[in-house]
This record gives sequence, C-alpha cells and structure tokens, in this order.
Amino acid sequence: MALPTTKRDDHRDKPASSIGQSLVRVDARDRVTGRAMYPADMQRPNMAHARLKRSPHAHARIRAIDTSRAEALDGVFAVVTAADFAKVPLGASIPMGETGYDMWMVAQINMASGKVFWVGQPVAAVAARDSHVAEAALELIDVDYEVLTPVTDIAAAMRPDAPVLHEHVVTKGLAQAADGPSNVCSRTLIERGDAERALAQSHATASVSVLVDTAHQGYIEPQAMVAEVSADGFATVWASTQGQFSTELMISRMLDRPLSKLKVVPMEVGGAFGGKIAIHGEAVAVRLAEKCGRPVKLVFTREEVLQGGSGPTMGMAVDIRVGADASGRLSAIHGVYRVDAGGLPGLSPSLLMQASAALYQVDDLHLEGFDVVTNKPRTEAYRAPGGIQGAFAVEQAMDELCLRGGFDPLEFRRRNAAVTGSTMPIGTPFPSIGLSEILDAVAEHPCWTKALEPGVHPRGRGLALGYWRGTSMTSACHVIIGGDGRPVVTMGAVDISGTRTTMTQVAADQFGLAPQDVHVQTGDSKSVGYSDGAAGSRVARTMTAAIVEACDDALAQLGERAARLMQAEPARVTYANGVFSLDEGRGTSITLAELMQETLTDGAIVGRGSSSKLPLGVEIAAHVCDVEVDPDTGQVTILRYTAFQDVGRALNPSAIEGQLQGSVVQGIGWALTEGYDYDANGRLRNASLLDYRLPTALDVPSIDCVILEKPVPGVPYGLRGVGEAPIVPVAACVANAIARAVGVRTGRMPMTPERIVMAMRERAGRQI
Amino acid sequence: MNLFDYHRPSTLSEACEALAAGGARLLAGGTDLIPQMREGRREAAHIVDLKRLAECTSIEVRADGGLTIGAAVASSIVARHPVIAEHYPALAVAALMIGSHQVQNRASLGGNICNAAPSADAVPPLIVLGAQVEIVSGEGRRVVPLETIFAGPGRTTLAAGELLATIILPAPQANTASHYIRFTPRREMDIAAAGVAARIIRDDAGVIINARIALASVAPTPIRAMAGEQVLSGQRLDDATIEAAAQAAMGEARPISDTRASAEYRRELVRVLTRRVLTHCRDALEAGR
Amino acid sequence: MSRIMLTCRINGETVSALVDPRDTLLELLRERLGLTGTKEGCGNGNCGSCTVLVDGAPVNACLMLAQEAPGCEITTIEGLSGAQGLTDLQQNLAEAGATQCGFCTPGIVISATALLAENPAPTDADIRRAIAGNLCRCTGYDKIVRAIALTATQRGG
Repeated sequence: MALPTTKRDDHRDKPASSIGQSLVRVDARDRVTGRAMYPADMQRPNMAHARLKRSPHAHARIRAIDTSRAEALDGVFAVVTAADFAKVPLGASIPMGETGYDMWMVAQINMASGKVFWVGQPVAAVAARDSHVAEAALELIDVDYEVLTPVTDIAAAMRPDAPVLHEHVVTKGLAQAADGPSNVCSRTLIERGDAERALAQSHATASVSVLVDTAHQGYIEPQAMVAEVSADGFATVWASTQGQFSTELMISRMLDRPLSKLKVVPMEVGGAFGGKIAIHGEAVAVRLAEKCGRPVKLVFTREEVLQGGSGPTMGMAVDIRVGADASGRLSAIHGVYRVDAGGLPGLSPSLLMQASAALYQVDDLHLEGFDVVTNKPRTEAYRAPGGIQGAFAVEQAMDELCLRGGFDPLEFRRRNAAVTGSTMPIGTPFPSIGLSEILDAVAEHPCWTKALEPGVHPRGRGLALGYWRGTSMTSACHVIIGGDGRPVVTMGAVDISGTRTTMTQVAADQFGLAPQDVHVQTGDSKSVGYSDGAAGSRVARTMTAAIVEACDDALAQLGERAARLMQAEPARVTYANGVFSLDEGRGTSITLAELMQETLTDGAIVGRGSSSKLPLGVEIAAHVCDVEVDPDTGQVTILRYTAFQDVGRALNPSAIEGQLQGSVVQGIGWALTEGYDYDANGRLRNASLLDYRLPTALDVPSIDCVILEKPVPGVPYGLRGVGEAPIVPVAACVANAIARAVGVRTGRMPMTPERIVMAMRERAGRQI
Repeated sequence: MNLFDYHRPSTLSEACEALAAGGARLLAGGTDLIPQMREGRREAAHIVDLKRLAECTSIEVRADGGLTIGAAVASSIVARHPVIAEHYPALAVAALMIGSHQVQNRASLGGNICNAAPSADAVPPLIVLGAQVEIVSGEGRRVVPLETIFAGPGRTTLAAGELLATIILPAPQANTASHYIRFTPRREMDIAAAGVAARIIRDDAGVIINARIALASVAPTPIRAMAGEQVLSGQRLDDATIEAAAQAAMGEARPISDTRASAEYRRELVRVLTRRVLTHCRDALEAGR
Repeated sequence: MSRIMLTCRINGETVSALVDPRDTLLELLRERLGLTGTKEGCGNGNCGSCTVLVDGAPVNACLMLAQEAPGCEITTIEGLSGAQGLTDLQQNLAEAGATQCGFCTPGIVISATALLAENPAPTDADIRRAIAGNLCRCTGYDKIVRAIALTATQRGG
C-alpha cells in the first residue's frame, strides 16, 4: 500500500537552506590535516606487497611464462599469470549505464593473455614480504616473447599493409563490408545535407587539420588497492575507484567469484577524471590474496602509471572544413576524425564528433570518424572523452573562418548558435540550453569588452565554445533516520567532485534542517543500491533526484507515524524544518527527535530513492583568454582566462568554481606542455613527471569564472552536469589567442614552444 | 635498489677512506643519486654522506677576496648568500633554478657538478665566473678549473677515491656583470632545453676586457662558447656586437635531438638566450650594478 | 636481510623504527611509523606530494634516505595541527574550497607553512613560486593561492 505523501511547506527557498551557498566541504578538514585515507594508506595485519610484471615490448606473442624461479625466492608468497584467471571471451561485457562495458578489454588491461599490445601491459604478478622482494621476484619471472612489429601512430596503423593487432577486428560501418582484419575498428558517419557542395558554394571557407598527442589524466595519486580474503572466503577490496559497483563486477568476472562473496570499499580518490573506471590490478590483488592467504597491497609507481600501466586518453588526427556566406551564416561543417584508441578497440567516435559540431545551427554536415588501434596503452576517458580534441579542431576552424571572412568571432557564434529545439547532429532536437545567454554574458564582460593592452611581446585574445552531453545512467541511495531524528543518507556514488557536501545540502534542504544535522556517506558495494560510477557529469544531478525521492519516502513513513502518535488523520499532518504538526502548525506538533525517541523500535525508517535515465542537463561553456607569445622562444604566457558556463542551478558555487578552475588548468596543460612522446618501439620516452609536464602554479594565471543558471526543466533543482564541459574549449581558446597574437596555428597539440617557433619560421619561409 | 653501507664521516680523511673501499658514491642533497639508485640507473655499494664535513658545508670568504663554497651546501643557501647575490649574480640566479623549492633545499653545487648532466644549471655560471674545484683524496689535494671536470654526459674526470670538496671563486672585480638564462617549457621543475651564462668585465672606457660565455644542454658536456667570446673581446657591448656574439655562440653548439627539444630548436635558443643574457649584462653594467 | 634501528626527531618527539637500509624518509614515515599523511605521487621529486619540513625547510621526503634523518628535526602534516586544532592556514584552505581530492594538500600545507614563516607578506607571485614544486591536478591552484594570501593578511602581513 502506497503511503500518502507527507505534505510539506515549500521550504525550498527558506533562508536557512544552504542551496546556493558555498558550504565548506564536509571532508575538507580531514584533507588539510592529512587524515583522509587512500588505499595506499591502508595497513592490514600480515599484509603482503604486490608488483606487476609488465611487457617490455609493444607488440608480441607470449610463448611461455616460467615463474618457478620467482616462486622459489625467499619472501615470495604467490605468483600469478593469465592462467590463474577466468577466460573472458570476446564480447563479454558487464552492465554499465546504457551500453555496458567491455569486459574482454578489462581482462586484457589487467593481465595479458597470449599476446601483448603495448609496453607495460601486465603479464604476471607477485605478492611478497615487501616491495624490495617483490621487485627482485619480477626479475626472476621468465617470459618468452615472440616479438612482433609494432605500429605506433594512426597513419601507420591505417595503412593496408600495417601489422594487424587483432585478428578478430573487422572494420564496422563501412559502406562495403571489409574482407579481412584491420586496425580500423569502426567507421562512423553522421551526415545531413551535402556538406561538400555547401562548402564549394561558400563565400568564405577555412580548413584546419590537427594532430593531438596522447595525454594523461594526470591524477596525482597512482593506482593503489588492498585486497583481503577472509578465512570464510569473502573478499574485500579497498579501492581508489570511480565506481565500486563496476569494480566489483569486473573483479567478479575476471575471477569467476560470486558477487555474494565480494565487496568493494571505495576509499578517497586522489584524482581520477575518467581514468579510474576500469580496474587496474584489483582482480589480480584478490587472486594473489586468495593464493597466499594474506592481505595484499598493490600500489603503482608513477613510472608504471605512465608507461602503460593505466589508460591515457586518446591521441587524434582531425581535419575540419567549414564555410560561411558573406553575412557570416555558417554553411557547412565537414570533419574527419581519426581516433588513436591504443592497443584495444575503443568506442565509436560518435559522441565526440557530435559534441564538436553541436553548438552550431547548420544544414549541411558530414562527420566521419574512425577508431584505430595502435600498440600503445588502451586509452580511457579524460573528462569529456574526445571532446577536447574535437573542439581543438572545430573551434580553430571557426576562428579561422572568422579571420578569413572578416567576422567578429563572438558575433559569428551568436549568429549561428544552437538554441533549444535546434537540430543536433544526429537529428534530435536540442533540449533546453542557454548558449545565447552565455554569449550575451561574454559580450558584456570586461574580459571581452576591455581592449587587450600591448606588452613586450605579441598578444592576442581567443574565444572558444565547448559542449558536452554527459550521461544520466542510474544512481541510488537510502536515508535512515537516527534515534535522535537526524537523517543519514547512504549514497551509491563515489565522491570525486564534492558530492558528499552538495548532497548534504540537498538532503538538508529536503528535510528543512541545518547541514550539520544531516550526514551523507558513500556506501560500499554491499551497503547501498547499485549505482553507476561517478563519471559523465552525472552524480550531483542524479543523486539529487534519488535523494529527493528517498527523502519523500522517508517523510511519508515518518508522517504516518506522526499522525498515529498525534492521533490524527494523516491528511492533517504537515512537515516543516524538523517538525510534524497538525493544522498547519496551529495544532499539536512533534519534532523529528521526539518522534524517533518514541517510535525507533517500532521498525526502521528507511527511505529509498533511485534515479534512472534522468533527462539530460547538457553542458555548454564559453571561454575567453588573453595570451602573450615570446616570438623568439615560442613560450606562451596566459595573461587572463575567463570561463563562462551554464550550470542550471549552482548548488555550491565554490565547488563549481573549483571544477571550472581545475578543468581549465588541465586544459592549459594539454594545450601547451603535455603530450606523450613515443619512440618507434612504442616505448614512452617521457614516463616521469619531469618530462610529462603538468602545469605548476607558476604556469597558469588566476582563472575567473562566470556561472550562469538556466535551469533544466523537469529535474530537481534544474541541475545541469558541470564537470566535463570546462575542459573542452581550453586548448582551442588558447590556440585562437595564439593565432591572433602571432598569426600561426601549429596544427599540433600540445602547442609547445618549439612547435610554435617552428610554425612561425615556416610561415616566414626561413630555415633555422 | 641495491643494498649499500651508509657512511657519515666527520672528517675529510674519513670520507676519503670510505671512498677508497671502491663502489662508493658521494651523497650531498641526494636529489639525483637517490632517484637514480631507486630506478636502477646507478649502483653503489657504499654511500658517503658529506653533510657532516665542515669544509663541504660552509661558505667562506678567502684571504684573496674570493669565495670558497662547500660542495654540499644547499643551492637555496647559495642563492641567498649576500656575497654571492652581490658579486656572483649568475650563480645566485642559477641556484634558484635547480628544481623546485624542495629540491633547492637539498641539491648542492657539488652534486650538480658531479652528476655531470649537460643541462646542469649551476655549471655554466660557475665556468664563466672562473670557478675552480678542489679535489681531495687519500693522496692529497689538487685544484683544477671546473671545465676540466667533465668527461661526457654523466661522467667526470674524477678518479676513484677522489672527492670534490669545495668550489673556489676568484675575487670579484669592478665593472663586472654576470647572468644566466635558460629555457624550459614550464616555469619550474624542468630541465633546461638550453642555457647560457655570461660574464663581462669592462674597463673604465666601456671596452670589454674579459668575456666568458658558457652553454648548457647543447653538447655532451657544458662548454665554453669561445667563438662568441672572441667576438666580444675588445669591443663595446652594443646591439650589433651582441647579435654577432650570439650568432657565433650558436655556431659553437652541438646539440642532440631528444624528447625535450630538437637540435635545431636548441641552436636557435642559444642565439636567443645569448643575446638576452648579454643584453642583461649590458643593462647591469650601465646601471652600475 | 638486516634491518637497522634509527632514532629520529619527528613532530617534536623522539621516535625509533626498524628500517630497511634502502628506505627513503618517505618510506620511514609511511611504512615504518604509520604517518600516512605524507603522500607518494611520483617517487622522484617531481610532484611535491611528499613534502615535509627538515629543520624548517620544505624538502621532498622521497629524495632523502631514512638514514639521513637522525639529527634533523622533521615535521610532517601530522605535526602541524593537534589538540589545539587546525592552524589558521589549514582552516583557510578548508574554507576556501582549496582542496578537492586532497592528495596534494598535505604537501601544499607544508610548503605554505614554510613560506609564511619566512615571508609574512608574500605577493601572489611569491605564493605561486613557493608552491610551484607542489603539483595539483584538481583545483587549478586558484583557491589555494587565495587561502594562503588570506592567511598572510589575517596575520598582519
């Protein structure tokens, strides 16, 4: 029998609500005192230390592995190879969101079987008394490789005579079916109208081709995990993960271990950004723990993280052509996108291609994408996967078109901006968006209206837009009411963006209580309902919806009890700010605390909530930056940076600024100094944080944020996703500023000082 | 990392005895040695810590007005030392470039020299300032020009059992300016793609009587750019001379291409940085600094 | 394999631990003494997550041998706050939203503590230079710089 909903006064905009306040993070004090616990901080009794043995070859068959010498070393407790794991067949997948997740790929990432596809792919693992013994044991594992020729770049991999990585991969999506295996996994076409003809008839055209180097998410915490199997055979894994449920599913499949005998406890995550969705070693740690009967800790070194131990994000080659009529109306977008997926097939580039073109109203569109494997680590997401690279090409093309056609870059965007209802690249109408409002905000802001002052070196101002769709997937939570009436929410999502804090604000708002009287925690994989991982800009929105449902459910149960206690009809009971009362406060009342004191042992109050396929809150950003370029060295100084974004509703403005500022600095890193440098053998030359250059505090300016709020209809609080769009336009924005400063586009990302100088020399027609 | 014996001598002769055992490496700041050993790039059966030795950890003004800098003094202390900041500015500037703050609080000139990376930031400034090094061993002491220490990338001419104890700088002269500029893609925690140090001494009429230019990261060892020096000698430090010297210095560079930079770009940087460092010296001399 | 007993001064206390002779100071702190507030992000002095104070100066604990520790006064993140609560700097970092994943935070706190002890009135450039050896991937540094500047201002700098 459904409980009647407890009537509530509309307290949503009461002054006591913390919605819209920059509530201090509930976990901040633990962080500034060093008390926050990450898996590498865990100590378990009798714990062993594990290390992974990794392939030195980018492409090879494994003929045999002999672990006997390693097993004989004093202090070694267990050794495993692929033979110790379940055979995960091609096509195996685990449930995740709308599309599932490729489990065969996960198994390959965690333990190569039969063949290796990149330098650093694991081929064996040891657990030993300490890390020194484990290191020594790795040297004693003999692997007999048949070394094969690697392909290390997209162009080489796409040639018909290229060495083929996977015999089972036949290009999907070709007009004519392919006749044999290929390194091109798929071809995707998104088309409407006739882009070629529209371009041919355009008054002005521009063409930009870019080659984007592979880059790493750069989380400061390397992968780390602790696995322990009880004497009764129950396995617990303490993990740094974006999704405890996905981690659990992946471990279960790799080990054939029933989920009723496995639990994943998510610890604090020292940065993830998409790189800690797939497991990297967790199943291996469990198997080692099973074999040696001790808890096992596995922590990656930074070199391992970079040299094939984790998935960087995709390099890409993108060619964009755009055109416009004399008045600045965009006529067509033509794009070819070649995605370097790394050693295992990736996803179709459909989402990233759509994202790169979505913000423009255009009748003629031709977007063609290829997913290509190469002998490098299998790539993983980095915030908006592929979005940054796509924008780097398209937003530069639009900017170049403005230069050629004499259009103001902001007016051009306004002229051609997608609006609510515009047709998106795949033909669906745009849900509610506020791009025009964002552009209006840019137009009025001093970052745009105030002229760039001259400096010692050439300066320029750039504008770029960014779009990311995000996902919703599923989120669950429950709320229990403590004996003193205080609600505690257990949510299924891992907190990687401050959601324990923002969900505290939501739950407090729902109950009309102060945030201090509400507690929100993340449950382990056995303590809360299934939730998809923290990714795709989905947690704050969807967990809010789940919490609203759970609070409604709890309040209905509480209301029924209150009515009984007050001996009244439930219809007479209203709730506001911790108090149930009759006749809208004019009659008897009882506080939450009193109610629970009286009725705690009558039965638990558990409010359930879950959200699935919530209407999307797509993300749009516009960025403006001023740069100065030293023409003799190519060094770029970013003088000013302003990030505009529509967030629907700002639950916590400080948290949103933090997401924007962090994303922008990540984007600046990839724009100017970060890029993987492989040798011809597929070995990464810059596998350290000395030569893989993340921005330091001296390399970036203060990042100004302008937050706009155009609520999404039909979702609680009108929330949009936040965390992916702010990285999308950064490199393009910087590139456009550089182009206006010194008149060159390097066509490469990162736009290192050397590449800028070389591009300028080439333009000037001089050899050095 | 291999197992080793760790020694903490309190006298130079104890240190030399420990070195004589063979397979020994010196430890000052450890900012090169420790990561190299952990990554298996260097091995040592013995590690001899110099930080208890008075000679290696102090900075003293010499009787002749020069300066003796202990090989194990942290570069952050070198940078802040008033005599160095005043009279050997190229060194003060470079000492603040050897890694981050955290690294500067440990990294030493002795380590920067003996690690013998072609990119060592302290070395070109020390060379142009006329530095000598004092080498101590069981057999006695010798003092040699710093430039003679380098045998190749990562290798010095020191024999087994020898220890670089101090760096000796000559007494400062009037009408002298020195500076160091390097180029790195990031503003901190980076290795020089190229670096140029210069020291200019003029007479009262403004004519250059002594010019020294040294280059980092563009040869197997740090090198002097003699051709550039010759262009300057006896001239005034005007734009045309500076440009000519920069061009000549560029000609002396013999860089390789690696993950950090191409040879072409490094040569170009030598020209740009030489021009800038000489301009800086000129400005300093004009300002009477 | 023989272990060595070391006696060191950590956070104002004299402590002893058995170490592997090859242990770095970072391993001594984290593995032998259970002081896990100091983090390992790279192991070779390029990220600053392991920053501690050695005789008052910020230093990468991963670049020091444990055997070099005796005779030094070492301060870790655990030693900055205690029964007296958070320092004003820690409070300001927390309130400014200057910590997200938190992994770089202990190192930043140590570097900033040393900065403010040496330079009570740092400019933004001074602050950025002081934390340039501490990589942060989440915050973009903005709120960190503001919190440090605020602390200096509040102290009268």
